[in-house]
Amino acid sequence: MSLPEFDFHAPEGVDQACRMLSDYGAGARIFAGGTDLMLDMRRKRISPEHVISIAAIEELKRLDFAPGMLKIGGCVTVARIVKSKEIALKWGALCAGAKALGSCLVRNLATVGGNIVSARPAADLPPSLMVYSASLVLKKTTGERIVSMDDFFTGTGTTVMAADEILTEIRLAEPPPHSGAGYINLGIRNACDINILNVASHIVLDRPGGVINDARIVMGCVAPTHVRALAAEKLLMGEKPSEALFERAGEAAMKASSPRGSAYSRASAEYKKDMVKELTMRTLGIALKEASGSRS
Amino acid sequence: MKKLIRVTVNDVAHEVAVRPNQTLVDMIRYDLGLTGTKNGCGEGDCGACTVILDGTPVNSCLVLAMQADGRTITTIEGVESGEGLHPLQQAFIDKGAIQCGFCTPGMVLSAKSLLDENPAPSEEEIREGISGNLCRCTGYLQIIDAVKSVAK
Repeated sequence: MSLPEFDFHAPEGVDQACRMLSDYGAGARIFAGGTDLMLDMRRKRISPEHVISIAAIEELKRLDFAPGMLKIGGCVTVARIVKSKEIALKWGALCAGAKALGSCLVRNLATVGGNIVSARPAADLPPSLMVYSASLVLKKTTGERIVSMDDFFTGTGTTVMAADEILTEIRLAEPPPHSGAGYINLGIRNACDINILNVASHIVLDRPGGVINDARIVMGCVAPTHVRALAAEKLLMGEKPSEALFERAGEAAMKASSPRGSAYSRASAEYKKDMVKELTMRTLGIALKEASGSRS
Repeated sequence: MKKLIRVTVNDVAHEVAVRPNQTLVDMIRYDLGLTGTKNGCGEGDCGACTVILDGTPVNSCLVLAMQADGRTITTIEGVESGEGLHPLQQAFIDKGAIQCGFCTPGMVLSAKSLLDENPAPSEEEIREGISGNLCRCTGYLQIIDAVKSVAK
C-alpha cells in the first residue's frame, strides 16, 4: 500500500515548525518517529497535505537531568530511555515501560512525545509517566503552556492539544525519598505486541518501614483513555504496606475499571478485570521493594 | 515534487531525486537497485527492511526517503568486505540459520548492530536484539546459535 501524496517539510527549529503548523492548518501533520503516523497514512486513516518532520530538531532531542527534574525532549527516542542508567535508577517504571514498547527496531525510531500524543489507551509510556506526575510543555507560535498528564487525554486518539501545538518537552520531578514505582504490561508476546492491559503504581513511604504517604495507580486498556484508580489510591493512604492491603487496592482498581471485551481489544472483559487486580498488586509489590531499597 | 537528496550508502555517495511520499526502503530498492533490503509488512513489524541509519538499525519502511538527506546508511550489501562474507553471514550459513532467506538481511543487520554495541551478549540479549525481525522458517534457534558463535 502506498502513502498518500503530501509535501514534506523539515524545519530547523521548534519556532519554524510551529509557524508551519499554524500556516498549513488542519492539512498538516507532525512526523516525530513515524512509527504511528506512517501506519495511519498507509492505511489511509489520515491523508495530510503537509508532513512536518521534527525528528531532526536538536532541541527536541535533549535528555536533561536538571537538579530535581528530568526533562525529556519530545523527540527523544524510546531506545534512549531504555539505555539511560539515570532513568533506570530513579524512574524505573518509565524504563520498564520503554523496554516493553514495540521491538528494538521500533524503539530506535519511536519517540516519547509520539507515544503520548497518539493517545492510544494501550500505549506503554503514559501509565508510568502519569504515576510520576509528569507534565507536558505544549508550544505554538503565540506561546507555550504546561499541562498535567492527568488532564491531557480526552478520548482514544484525542487530547487537549490544539491543532497548532507541538509537545516539546515532558517534565518529571525527581521521585521523593522512600518512594518506588512499578510497571507491568500484559500481552500475547513480548515484542511487537499491543497490550491487553498495563498498570503502573507509585507509592511514597513517610520513612523506611513506615506508612504510605502518597500513592498513584494508572491503568491502560480499561477505558478510552489511561485512567487513575482513585479509590485504590485513597485506600492506601496512611496505611502500612502489606500483601492484604495491596490485595484490597487491587480489588478497588478492578472495580474502577471498565474494559471492553472483544477480539479487537484482545481479551474478554472478565479476564482483563481479574488481571487489573493482579497487575495492581504486583506493581505495588515492585514499588514497595524499590521504596524500601537503595533509592530511599 | 521530487527533491534531490544526498545520501551515503555502503560508503558510496549518491544523489537521488525522491518523492515526498517515498519510503527509504523503496528508494534503496528501486532507485539504488539494492534489493537485498526486503519490503515485507510495510508497518515496522517484520524487520525485513532493516538498514543501519547513522549507526542505528531501523525499519526503513517507516522512514521517508527525504529524511535520509545527508545521512549514512549500511544495507546488507555493505556488510561483506573485500575479504569475503562477514563472519555473521558465514555463521548463518554454517549453523543452518537460513531457509527461505527473506528475513536474513534484516536478521544479519540487527545482529551486527547488537554485536557492534555489545560484543559478548547473553542469550537473552541476543533474543532481545533480534526481537524486531520475524523468521517464519527456522524457529529462531539456529539464528541464535549463529549469533552466539560469532559473539565473544
